[in-house]
Amino acid sequence: MFHPTRHRHSIHCILPPYLARSIAQNGSSEQRERALRTLSTDSTFRALRLAGSRTTPSTLVTRPRAMMVESALHRTIYDLRNSEAFPGTPVRFEGQAATEDIAVTEAYDGLGDTFNFFWEIFGRNSIDGDGMPLQAFVHYGKNYDNAFWDGRRMVFGDGDGDLFNRFTICPDIIAHELAHGVTEDEGPLWYFRQAGALNESMSDVFGSLVRQMKLQQKADAADWLIGKGLFTGNVEGVALRSMKNPGTAFDDDVLGKDPQPGHMKDYVRTWEDNGGVHINSGIPNRAFYLVASQLGGYAWERAGRIWYDAIRDSHIKPDMGFLDFARITMMSAMRLYGAGEEADAVRDAWEQVGIRVPKPGIGIPSFVGAVTRPSTQAGRAPRA
Amino acid sequence: MRIEIKREGGPAYFPGLARPRAVDLTSLPPEQAEALRHSVQAARFFELPPVVGTPAPGAADARRFTLTVEEEGRRHTVQFIEPVEEPRLHDLLEQVTKAERAQRRGARPGTPG
Ligand SMILES: [Zn+2]
Repeated sequence: MFHPTRHRHSIHCILPPYLARSIAQNGSSEQRERALRTLSTDSTFRALRLAGSRTTPSTLVTRPRAMMVESALHRTIYDLRNSEAFPGTPVRFEGQAATEDIAVTEAYDGLGDTFNFFWEIFGRNSIDGDGMPLQAFVHYGKNYDNAFWDGRRMVFGDGDGDLFNRFTICPDIIAHELAHGVTEDEGPLWYFRQAGALNESMSDVFGSLVRQMKLQQKADAADWLIGKGLFTGNVEGVALRSMKNPGTAFDDDVLGKDPQPGHMKDYVRTWEDNGGVHINSGIPNRAFYLVASQLGGYAWERAGRIWYDAIRDSHIKPDMGFLDFARITMMSAMRLYGAGEEADAVRDAWEQVGIRVPKPGIGIPSFVGAVTRPSTQAGRAPRA
Repeated sequence: MRIEIKREGGPAYFPGLARPRAVDLTSLPPEQAEALRHSVQAARFFELPPVVGTPAPGAADARRFTLTVEEEGRRHTVQFIEPVEEPRLHDLLEQVTKAERAQRRGARPGTPG
C-alpha cells in the first residue's frame, strides 16, 4: 500500500474536517478562537510539508473540495469460520444491528472506536485519510493466536484458549493493528530494527489512546497496558506490554519474561523479532507515556497530537532511528505549541529514556548526516 | 524423528516461545505421531528452501516459525513466514503447533489437559 505521492495529505492540511464542523456547529468565541489557533498551526505545518515534499503547489490549491469532506465510516465484518480462506462470509455491514457473535461485535465496535478516534481528534478520515472502508476478518484459522494487519485488512484469530483469548477482546489491539495501516500510509517505517520498533510503538501509542478515549481516562488514570485481558488465566501476566513500566507485563513459565527495555542502556540488539521490533518499542513507548503524564489531562490532546504530527512530518524516513524520531517530535511540539512546557516535556521524556535531543537551532535542522544511526542497514531481518 | 519449533512475531515477543522447543513424538498419542510423520513426508520437508513465504508489503505482526527436523542423520531447518498457503506446508505447521501445544499443556502443573 505504498503510495509514492503524498498529495492526499493536503486534503487535511487545507482545513481539517473536524475544524470546519467545529466552526459551523459551535458559536462560542472560545471555541472559535481555539479553532482558529489550530488552523494557524496547520497552516504552518502545511507550509513546512510543502517545502519538503515532492508535491507541486498546484496539487494543494486545486483541492478545495476537501473542505467539504465528511467522515465516512464503512465497516464490514467477515466470518472466516475457522478457515484461512478469504474472504469468508460477510456477517455485519455498516449500520446493521449486532449479531450473537461476540467476536463480530467486538471487531465492529473496535473499528468504530479507532475510526472515531482518528476522526474526532485528528480529523483523519480513516486509515488512508481518504475514507478507506474498514474490513475485519474474525475466526481466522483454528486456535489461531494472533491478530495482524496484512497491508490492507485486519485479521483476528480466536486464540488457542490455553495462552490467549480471542484477539478481538482488546480495543487497543484492534487500534494497534489499524494504526499499522496509518503508519504505512504516512511513513512508511520499515518493519526492522529501530524503525520497526518506532512502527510498533506508534501502534501502541494510538492503541492505548483509543482505549483511553473510549474509557475517558486521563493520563494519570490510565493503566498504559497493551492487550490487557488477552491472556487466559493460565498465564502469569497482565498484558502484552506496559508503556509505563516496560518489561513488567508478564513473567510466565511458557511465555517467558516480558523482554522490553524502558531505557537505551538496556537496548536489545538481536536478529530475532525483525531486530527486536516488539522488544525495543518499550523505549519510545515509555517516552510517550512520560510526555503524557508530564503534561497531564487527556493524553490524546497534546502528547497524542505531537506524536501524530511527527509521524506525518516529511522528515520521516523509512529507516529512521529513535534519535531522528525524537528530534521530529521536538519540532512538532515547537510547531504546535511554541517553546513551552510541551517542548520541555518532550525533551525531558526522551532524556529519561536515554535519548538526548540537541537544542534545536533556527529553522529546520538538516537530518542528512547529522545523526548517527546504528540502524541504517537496510533490508529485512536475516535468517535466524 | 526429532522436531523442533521456534516461534517469533505475532502481537509481542515471547522469549519462551521463541526458544526452540522440541516436540517429542514418543509422548504423543500414536495416531497423532503418525500424522505428524506423514505431514513431514508429504511436505517434502528435506527439499524445502531455508525460507518459505514472504511478508506482504506493509504487513505487521505476522508470525514466523522455524522448524528443524532430524531424521536418520539428516537435519534441515526451514523458516515459514505467515501466511503459509500451500496446503501441505500449512498442514505440517498445524500438526507441529498442535503437538507442541498439547505437550505444553500436559507439562503445565495444575492445568487440565
Ligand atoms: Zn504491531
